[in-house]
Amino acid sequence: MLYPLLWMLSGSVKDQNEIFGSASLIPSQFDFSAYARGWFGGQVNFGSFVWNSVVIAVLSVIGNVVSCSLAAYAFARLNFWGKNFWFALMLGTLMLPYHVTLIPQYILFLKLGWVKTMLPLVVPKFLAVDAFFIFLMVQFFRGIPRELDEAAMMDGCSPWRIYWRIMMPLSLPVLATAAIFSFIWTWDDFFGPLIYLSDINTYTVQLGLRSFVDSTGSSDWSSLFAMSSISLIPVFLIFLFFQRLLIDGIATAGLKR
Amino acid sequence: MRVETYQKAPSAFARNAPGYLFLLPWFIGFFGLTLGPAIVSLYLSFTDYNLLQAPHLVGLDNYARIATGDDKFISSMKVTLFYVVCSVPLKLAFALMVALLLNRGIRGLPIYRAIFYLPSLLGSSVAIAVLWRQIFDGDGVVNTLLWYVLGINGPSWISNPNYSLYTLIILAIWQFGSPMIIFLAGLRQIPTDLYEAASLDGASKARIFFKITLPLLTPVIFFNAVVQTIDAFKAFTPAYVISSGTGGPIDSTLFYTLYLYQEAFGYFRMGYAAALAWVLVIIIAVFTAFSFLSARYWVHYDD
Repeated sequence: MLYPLLWMLSGSVKDQNEIFGSASLIPSQFDFSAYARGWFGGQVNFGSFVWNSVVIAVLSVIGNVVSCSLAAYAFARLNFWGKNFWFALMLGTLMLPYHVTLIPQYILFLKLGWVKTMLPLVVPKFLAVDAFFIFLMVQFFRGIPRELDEAAMMDGCSPWRIYWRIMMPLSLPVLATAAIFSFIWTWDDFFGPLIYLSDINTYTVQLGLRSFVDSTGSSDWSSLFAMSSISLIPVFLIFLFFQRLLIDGIATAGLKR
Repeated sequence: MRVETYQKAPSAFARNAPGYLFLLPWFIGFFGLTLGPAIVSLYLSFTDYNLLQAPHLVGLDNYARIATGDDKFISSMKVTLFYVVCSVPLKLAFALMVALLLNRGIRGLPIYRAIFYLPSLLGSSVAIAVLWRQIFDGDGVVNTLLWYVLGINGPSWISNPNYSLYTLIILAIWQFGSPMIIFLAGLRQIPTDLYEAASLDGASKARIFFKITLPLLTPVIFFNAVVQTIDAFKAFTPAYVISSGTGGPIDSTLFYTLYLYQEAFGYFRMGYAAALAWVLVIIIAVFTAFSFLSARYWVHYDD
């Protein structure tokens, strides 16, 4: 299972000729120069791609967690006219492939003058467009005892205060799951940046890596492997630290759906 | 008294306002980025639009072209269907097999679970696609292994149209981790007294699997099958990276989404691409409806 990943990692410290003709994972000698070649070698420093990705991913996490939890709180706890209708529509958007909205969204962002900026990649995240997270949070919020917010309501707490002071602190596990998946999906996203970013200075890691493949061809494989390895580090670290949370998140989301 | 309760009863506005305020971001997103665009996309699918001139209506021309004379549509649909039909069952079979193995109370379960899950988590990143491209290249590690172990000179998998799609199918199967996790959770929920009763009755392992485990797992199998199939229809990044965006060699990896992308952002045929998107929606919807209908006959629910 892990062999391909380890092969890539070992390829990043191998001599060019050793990558071919050897399936061994242990290089005859460690040569880390490929990392420097890859990082500084391009037209734009690889660090710039990392920075752009970090900015977009962090903003996406904040946007998704805030906007989806607001919506989920309304659906799980508040009563208002048409709630079931809106909830059904929200669930319906879970099924809709993004290809349908893709072209008009692109045209909209083009007319707004946002194409070639990161705005189309970030602003939608603040508008709760990822129904999956709303759904996940609704499921979790429903498990929190109703007596808690009913008692708070009796004491004259506003819905906002209940949301902020009761629901949010009690929902840290699901908020963390949403945040982590949000980060990973944004970090790995290739399609969005491919469409909206065309200036190399705004490229994300995924786009940077792709342009790296095209520009170096297969001439410098070790630095290609080195940059590929670097692009996987954040996801790998998150996996390492939050394994349990990720696995529980995916298991429960799958079963309750 | 009556007057007082009357005064205290909240107005319709006060009752509804908090809900709508909390939903405000979602409403903006839903109308502005989902429902609105979906309607526009339906309209565009009946037009000819290249972003420069205003869209002009062409009636059903786009759909007629899809239905009758578009070779690329047919080949991309074939590629995608073949990919779905091959990758999804194999992926689920592996996921179930590994989940069954891991469910037998082995030591170090979290480590194995992690090892099997990691590739799916890295999922659609460009690095994985790049890695795959190099592994299956003419002088990549697959051919090196074939040469040392079996003495075979392997072909250049990626640039040979007979094999290129299979490399993508293998990539999809390699990433069986998330259905596996869901299978594991499903296996946990099967009551152990059922197994105890069966083993007291002297039922064989195979019999227990086919009479208890498999039937009780059908809701999870169903869920995984639907989710994985929809995902497989939408696959994009690996095909794009491995073929450098062309879908080659000879359209052998031209996935439907890649073709849609080329039409929209390569040739700026926005109307035609919108029609392609709607055809995809219809295909996915038909598939999903069919799965739900068939589920009646094979998915076992407790109640």
